[in-house]
Amino acid sequence: MDSDQPAPASHRRRFLIGLAVAALFAAAFGAFLLGVAREGARRDAEERRSVVQLLALTDLVDRAGGQPAAAEEPSYGLGEELPPVDVPAEGTVPDTGGGLGDELAALDAGADSAETPDPGAATRQAVAAFAAAHPEVKAIRVVLFDGLLLEASTALEDLDEKAGEKAAPRRLERDEKPLYDLGQQLRAAVEGNREGQEGEAREEEIAAERLSGGLLRLSAPMERGGAPVGMVQMDTLVETPETRGAGFPWLAALLAVLAPVGLFFLISLALGERRALLATLAAVLLLVSLSAFALWSTRTLAADRRAAAEATAAAVKAEGERSIAQLAELGLPSDPPPAPETWDADRYRQPRGLVQAGQAGATVDQDRLDHESHQDAGRVHRAVITLSLIALVLLLYVGLGWAARTGAALVEHRYAYTYTVPALAAMLLLVFLPFFYGVALSFTNANVYNTDKSIFETWVGLDNFVEIVRDIGVAEQTPDGISWNYQSFYWTLGFTIVWTAANVVIGVSVGLLLALALNTKDLAFRPIYRVLLILPWAVPTYITALVWKGMFHKQFGVMNQILQIFGFDPVSWYDHPFTSFLAVLTTNGWLSFSFMMVVSLGALQSIPADLYEAARVDGATRWQQFLSITLPSIRPALIPAIILSVIWTFNQFIVIFLVSAGEPGGSTEILITKAYRIAFEQYRYGYAAAYSVIIFLILLAYGTWQNRVTRATEAIGE
Amino acid sequence: MRSAILRATFLLLLCALAAPATLAAQKEVVVWHGYRGGEKTAFEKVVAQFNQSQKAVKVSSLAVPYDAFSDKITAAVPRGKGPDVFIFAQDRLGGWVAAGNTVEPIDFFLDDKIKARYLKTTFDAMSYQGNVYGLPLNFKSITLIYNKKLIQTPPKTTAELVTMGKKLTNAASGRFGLAYWYSDFYYHAALMNGFGGSVFSQARKPAVNSAPNLQSLDLLLKWIGQKFMPEEPSTALITALFNQGKAAMVFSGPWFLGEISKDIDWGLAPLPAISEAGGKPMRPWITVEGVYIAAPSKNKDAAFEFVKYLTDVPAGKVMALEGRQTPANKGVYADPQVAKDPILAAFRKQVDTAVPMPNYPEMTMVWSPVTTAMNTVVKKTATPKQALDIAQKEILERIESLRK
Repeated sequence: MDSDQPAPASHRRRFLIGLAVAALFAAAFGAFLLGVAREGARRDAEERRSVVQLLALTDLVDRAGGQPAAAEEPSYGLGEELPPVDVPAEGTVPDTGGGLGDELAALDAGADSAETPDPGAATRQAVAAFAAAHPEVKAIRVVLFDGLLLEASTALEDLDEKAGEKAAPRRLERDEKPLYDLGQQLRAAVEGNREGQEGEAREEEIAAERLSGGLLRLSAPMERGGAPVGMVQMDTLVETPETRGAGFPWLAALLAVLAPVGLFFLISLALGERRALLATLAAVLLLVSLSAFALWSTRTLAADRRAAAEATAAAVKAEGERSIAQLAELGLPSDPPPAPETWDADRYRQPRGLVQAGQAGATVDQDRLDHESHQDAGRVHRAVITLSLIALVLLLYVGLGWAARTGAALVEHRYAYTYTVPALAAMLLLVFLPFFYGVALSFTNANVYNTDKSIFETWVGLDNFVEIVRDIGVAEQTPDGISWNYQSFYWTLGFTIVWTAANVVIGVSVGLLLALALNTKDLAFRPIYRVLLILPWAVPTYITALVWKGMFHKQFGVMNQILQIFGFDPVSWYDHPFTSFLAVLTTNGWLSFSFMMVVSLGALQSIPADLYEAARVDGATRWQQFLSITLPSIRPALIPAIILSVIWTFNQFIVIFLVSAGEPGGSTEILITKAYRIAFEQYRYGYAAAYSVIIFLILLAYGTWQNRVTRATEAIGE
Repeated sequence: MRSAILRATFLLLLCALAAPATLAAQKEVVVWHGYRGGEKTAFEKVVAQFNQSQKAVKVSSLAVPYDAFSDKITAAVPRGKGPDVFIFAQDRLGGWVAAGNTVEPIDFFLDDKIKARYLKTTFDAMSYQGNVYGLPLNFKSITLIYNKKLIQTPPKTTAELVTMGKKLTNAASGRFGLAYWYSDFYYHAALMNGFGGSVFSQARKPAVNSAPNLQSLDLLLKWIGQKFMPEEPSTALITALFNQGKAAMVFSGPWFLGEISKDIDWGLAPLPAISEAGGKPMRPWITVEGVYIAAPSKNKDAAFEFVKYLTDVPAGKVMALEGRQTPANKGVYADPQVAKDPILAAFRKQVDTAVPMPNYPEMTMVWSPVTTAMNTVVKKTATPKQALDIAQKEILERIESLRK
């Protein structure tokens, strides 16, 4: 530290601040994560209970749908909410002002007055009975695809005013299109999953949506004879203001900050200004408090999970009993008997197997529950370990004085930093964000089927890289000799390296030769030659590439016609890896020598002529002059050009893609074109991103190496 | 100077005041399309006609460069940044539905009268998993294009085609009876479908190595052996040959017609029936430009009104006669002006035997393996069976790797 500062900074104070910052960060983040997890678990539990109800309802509607309405008016047994209504023979609606019950009765009346029994009426009876038994269910809608029919509805807007006008059954109205489309989406999911392989469900067959006011809207397909013909939708009140946001652990978080900071303050009084000891103490306190927090989190989550499972089991039991009772009341077939344990299902309508229904009612499968809690604990541990690492870094950053130094530097050079802020922001936005997004993408299995999912849902860790690295099997021994697997990563990598090396050698040597020729003193028409030689570089690359592709055509290409003039057989250039390689090499050579020539020419012209004069006086030959004067003088210009040229050629997409297109069989593919094909022909975005990251790493390694080597030689030369 | 600024400010204010007043009742519908040149002019004329025909909806159109179009749709539409309506070929439909929140299902809007307006093949191309997602606007398919100077009556069967082809071929002077991009799977599909083959089985499983597909490749190999087609065909080569009068017949689509030089007197005819397949017709794939409503659109009703208008007869007539497109609406072809147009009539006839190109998302996994297979077969480095077995395996692997 500077000697002119009045008081040297105290280690004790720094570590205290560091610990406070780190603990605050870790506790706040940890508490946030726990809060989110608990909130998620709560919503999950609500959804599960509701799914049990929904599938029970669907079961009921399925059974009712195939049935004619019961002959006599069934007694609902619903208490005061739905008084049994006498149905007048004329089918008019008695105005008793009973709301829901009246409307439903009206529907029944309408159905009964018809001569033929109407399966819709049975459905409506069943729905009404179910609604009456579940006060928390605010609306039930049954949609039939055939005729765009709203078969039954207990939604208030369909019942309230203008009696009868909007009551089911009726055709769906235009603003109810989303309802119909949702049903169609579920139908497509059911059919798609059935077509899928090995019964593996891919598309969700139950749609869930959160509505305002704490309502959960669940929809499931309704099937008749195994074919989805409609949809059952249910709005349930699941959330009250009290339950919302109750899971945030304020107290625990506060404790996880205050306890270590307080303890550190007390103990550090005894330790004094001993830096190593202070650091250890702070780290230990931080880790202990985080571990305690982790333990507490795990317990909380496990308790939540148990409560949720028991609630689900209770729901299964209740629904099972209610179902049997209602089937009897409504006179619906109870064969096969309802299977309530299958109603605890996931979004794919696959039973979760957590709740077992036995003779004694529904019980929770203990092993499954333990297993799930164990998984929770694993997640908590991973999160806490990550948090601890970040918190430790924060602690040391502040505690060891680096933060103070950063701050000082920022203050001291504030103008410099202010001036670079726009550039930094632009770089961040345009370069680093896409770059890091690409890197993040390489850890996912993002593809055309899951573009709607977030990066976290498709996270697969290092799988893509492992798959690429394990993509061995380049060559295979067959009776006819070695057969190469052109699809292998290593073949492509090898080809890319050969391609790059060959191109750079050709580009540099041709470019340098032409530059030397052009640099001849008193050369006539030099500007004309120069323009002509730069032309290949000036023409758009893709045009040149397509022209060359045509020149290598078997029947009409100029190459084969020249060969034929000299009596050779025409060559199918793109049929063999080697000839195909020659074709792309020629094209790229044509494209790349100009750049090298321009660079070399510039460098050559900057060499003072007296150097050569002096060499001549000393009796040096032309060759000696070239080796001792020309090459060393143009090297500073040539080496960056070579680095650039290696990177360009390594990623020379256009020539490969347009000229050989990887023919034959992908043998002349380079890494970048392969990545393109994986991304836009196989639609495996994550895997392609991993390819790109590998390309980046290779080039980074090359660039670093090249830089070091050249700097070393420069140092020797000086 | 000051007065100019004042005047400009005043004008701006006036505009700002006037704009909401006139547009308040109107719903704005934005359409994206990939048309250029004459097609674009015709399309914009239809849009203008629609805007004049009623006051409730105002449609504005935006031409998006074709090569960026599909990426733009995938990127913008699901995030609610896209248009209300867009026009694109049906081959991406399945992928959009799988990705979600891109195209709006429109079954709900459709009645039997609307459904019956279109050529059945084109309407079928618009549905995926049993739902209709768009209305067909125009279609494109390959057909037989011939040089009238060299051919008086176009061949009705492949047997006639081969005889004529051989007669008109002279390898030394670079003349060929038939030129088409036979090594490309899209062009080959006409033969494949003709034999009753397909890319996917009924149960939507890839089946590129099925028996009819192999038969179609056997016939292609036989044709290649008879040397009445150029080697290593490509679009550029075929265009050049036809324009120099060195190719008597070409299988290609409407995109080829604009490339034909003025000196060539050409005609169109349906693709011949395959004598080797018991006289069944060649069945090319058609791509159908569908008009889709974007799922996040706020004006779906208004958008549908426009979609309905756009795919109706008057609009179709403008696009057929002025944009030189081939509308999917049947009624357009009843119009006398359209009926007497030989080009439109020829493509209309070809549709009867055409099949829509599959719109499953898995189709995108098919192209690259079958292209490799076609190349190896045509170059005789593998038998059709070997090549298609490899392609089948690779397609299954690719689909599997996506479903992990």
